[in-house]
Amino acid sequence: MMSSSPLVEARGLSKRYGSFVALDRADFIVQPGRIVGLIGPNGAGKTTALRALLGLTTYEGELSVLGREPFAERALLMQEASFIADVAVLPAWLRVQQAIDFVAGVHPRFRRERAEALLAKTDIGMRRRIGELSKGMKTMVHLALTMAIDARLLVLDEPTLGLDIIARRGFYDALVNDYMDDTRTIVITTHQVEEVENLLTDVLFIDKGRIVLDCSVEDIGARYAAVEVLDDRIAAARAERPFYERRALGKTLLYFEGADRQKLEGLGEIGVPSVADLFVAKVSAERAP
Amino acid sequence: MNDFIWLVRREFWENKAIWVLPACIGSLMVVAGLFGKVEIAVLHANPEQSEQAGALFFAAVGGIFWAAMGIYSVWYLLDSLYAERKDRSVLFFKSMPLTDSATVFSKLFVGVIAIPLVYFFAADLTALLVAFVISVRARLAFGNVLWHPELWLQAQALWLYVIATGVLWYLPIVGWLLLVSAWAKRAVILQALLPPLAIMLAELLFLGTRVSCIVLRDRILGGGYAAFHHPIQWSLVTGEMTPGVWQLPDPVGFLSSADVWIGVLVGAAFIAGAVQLRKRRTDA
Repeated sequence: MMSSSPLVEARGLSKRYGSFVALDRADFIVQPGRIVGLIGPNGAGKTTALRALLGLTTYEGELSVLGREPFAERALLMQEASFIADVAVLPAWLRVQQAIDFVAGVHPRFRRERAEALLAKTDIGMRRRIGELSKGMKTMVHLALTMAIDARLLVLDEPTLGLDIIARRGFYDALVNDYMDDTRTIVITTHQVEEVENLLTDVLFIDKGRIVLDCSVEDIGARYAAVEVLDDRIAAARAERPFYERRALGKTLLYFEGADRQKLEGLGEIGVPSVADLFVAKVSAERAP
Repeated sequence: MNDFIWLVRREFWENKAIWVLPACIGSLMVVAGLFGKVEIAVLHANPEQSEQAGALFFAAVGGIFWAAMGIYSVWYLLDSLYAERKDRSVLFFKSMPLTDSATVFSKLFVGVIAIPLVYFFAADLTALLVAFVISVRARLAFGNVLWHPELWLQAQALWLYVIATGVLWYLPIVGWLLLVSAWAKRAVILQALLPPLAIMLAELLFLGTRVSCIVLRDRILGGGYAAFHHPIQWSLVTGEMTPGVWQLPDPVGFLSSADVWIGVLVGAAFIAGAVQLRKRRTDA
């Protein structure tokens, strides 16, 4: 049975490093069973938000993760939540077998046979030291350890940074095929939006520490439109108050939010913006004076 | 408790030097015992002299291990909370349901109890092997001394007593090392040395006194003074080992010394600080 109360609830979440504001009164919730992409440019506050969620940093404002206060109760929270923050954080001196033994020893929800089965699909030997493995292999070991934990919430922070395309594909395939089901919830940050686009059920856009969009992927089509406007209709199109305009390859794309479809019909070809395009449009529009 | 055992085991996986270093020292000593020049003259001296040589033998073996252990423990403690941030493995360990205090205590335990015990056993084993080798080479002439059970027992008891009192006496220094280890973003050794040096220098320049200098010196060198009866009536040179050793330790005096408990409080405060930093810091 799934409860309908949100797994993550943040209200007025803020974090300052000296005079730099990394998170500025951010509000968001994450519902169970969703795959949420936390998307933002470098330095937007993604990692800070995730670190707050995982109890790795102090914060101001209200934050509840699985009903717990993350910073005060990190160890308890980690029984039900797990994370991969950045690539290649497994220590180089650890052997694959030791990593499994250690997690099995300290984590009540770790299923050893599952981790072993996942690793058996790769050609990574149990006696190998993490330091001897390639970056892609290290990531797969970490993913196997993490996927073998029966966690309600999995947080991934740039899990494929610096990996080649094959390793990245392998990572997401394993995640979708072997891990995700409707009892799981995943929050993922990446700046390679295209790669996770068809994985996500929800998107959270963050820029300069503030949430600029909180939307489910299925609602994007209803809320947003990208219209390829013919040159002689531009003035008329601008009258419909697009929030962002872009010229590329001799075409003009206008982005609308909550606009009347019928009014857009005559202006040009209407499409649904991709997550990546919508992200660029939203963030650019927010930054414009 | 189970978590704690895994945390300690993890320290032994990472820091192989904990047992490799004493194993190397021990092996070198055994090799020296096998091929080194044995001064037969000393071994065939009168009973008093050879008893003295026996005591010196144990003191030498123990002393070398003791010095190596001191240096290694300091290094281990300084590195313990810094290394995991430097290689970023802290992000893996923090994804486990383990508290920061359990983690810091596992490192404290390894630094002040596990490492001294490993060296204790290594020193014991080495002394046993070298004594055996020398006895055989010297055709048992020296054997009577080295196989003296009372001497063995005394060495064991003394060593364990020193470990136990050392934990309390050196807690402020140990706590400081852990605090710096949890704090520093680079150059841990420098950051451990500079603040005390700066305080001593500032005191000397502005107040013209040396109180902090004396406090620190007494803390570093005064462990034996606090834990044993003094003036020490016993010396290796005159070989008055046999009657005295059991009367040397002064546990009552040690445990009722204000210096010990002030140190424990300071050390506990530093360790609490290290736990708080471990909660907050994930990068180096």
